[in-house]
Amino acid sequence: MAKNVLLVDDSSTMRKIVTRSLRQAGLDFGEIYEAGDGIEALEVLEKESIDIVLSDINMPNMNGIEFLREKSARDGIKDIPVFMISTETGDDIIGEAKSLGAVGALKKPFTPDKVSEVLGPLM
Amino acid sequence: MPGGDVTWQIALGGSGVGDFSELIPRVVEATVEIFTGMVMMEIEQDGEPFQELGTLENGITGMVGLAGTHKGMLAVHFPNELAMAITTSFLGMEVEGINEDVQDAVGEIANMLGGNVKTILTDRGYDIQLSLPSTISGEEYTFLPDNELDQVIIPFRAPSGTFFVELELEQ
Repeated sequence: MAKNVLLVDDSSTMRKIVTRSLRQAGLDFGEIYEAGDGIEALEVLEKESIDIVLSDINMPNMNGIEFLREKSARDGIKDIPVFMISTETGDDIIGEAKSLGAVGALKKPFTPDKVSEVLGPLM
Repeated sequence: MPGGDVTWQIALGGSGVGDFSELIPRVVEATVEIFTGMVMMEIEQDGEPFQELGTLENGITGMVGLAGTHKGMLAVHFPNELAMAITTSFLGMEVEGINEDVQDAVGEIANMLGGNVKTILTDRGYDIQLSLPSTISGEEYTFLPDNELDQVIIPFRAPSGTFFVELELEQ
């Protein structure tokens, strides 16, 4: 069954790049929704049927860490898996993300093969 | 003006890039990886690193600030034509002029490269935070280096022109 994805990144360019990588990854993705920051992401999660979230870390208004924290406090959406997509994959920031419920990370730049490798087990 | 000839007035500095000698190959590798993997564009280093860039004309610069145990800045300077070609490759559609999409694309390249530089510096024991990316563009502008920071500029050649990665870092 196709998985719906929410992309959270303040860069519209990056959202388009990630969308392209997802479509080229050869996995069964359905709708791909977009949000420009954590606040928009929470609104989409409350409204749409989302199976996987890919979220940047450094964003204005509500960053990726704050988004995870807020999401984990909402019963209806707290269990939706989140992968961090970021230029930063240091142990500290990814460790903090994982302590808040993130299930993994994709480091920019990444290829469709990497997307397939990381997200494949969830499909 | 979009397209057309690009004039880059460059004052070639000396070869004194000091402690950057270990960083430079890794920055080159990261830059090539970003362009190959994300922009889908083949690039290569185009000459030796230097220290003064001079006035930039008909170009756009993306930059991120570095803060923490060592302050600095990472910038990528593109001629307009190359910036538009990069954006076209990112988006899969033609762009005409330096618009929001181009600014976003250039900022994202600076963001990705900044992240790689942060990882490199973290491996060295530095504790670095990155700013959000920003861009500047125009018919003529000058990047003035911070005199308290060491600076290196690495030239690259892409199919649509030459661009420069500039790193300023407190040593």
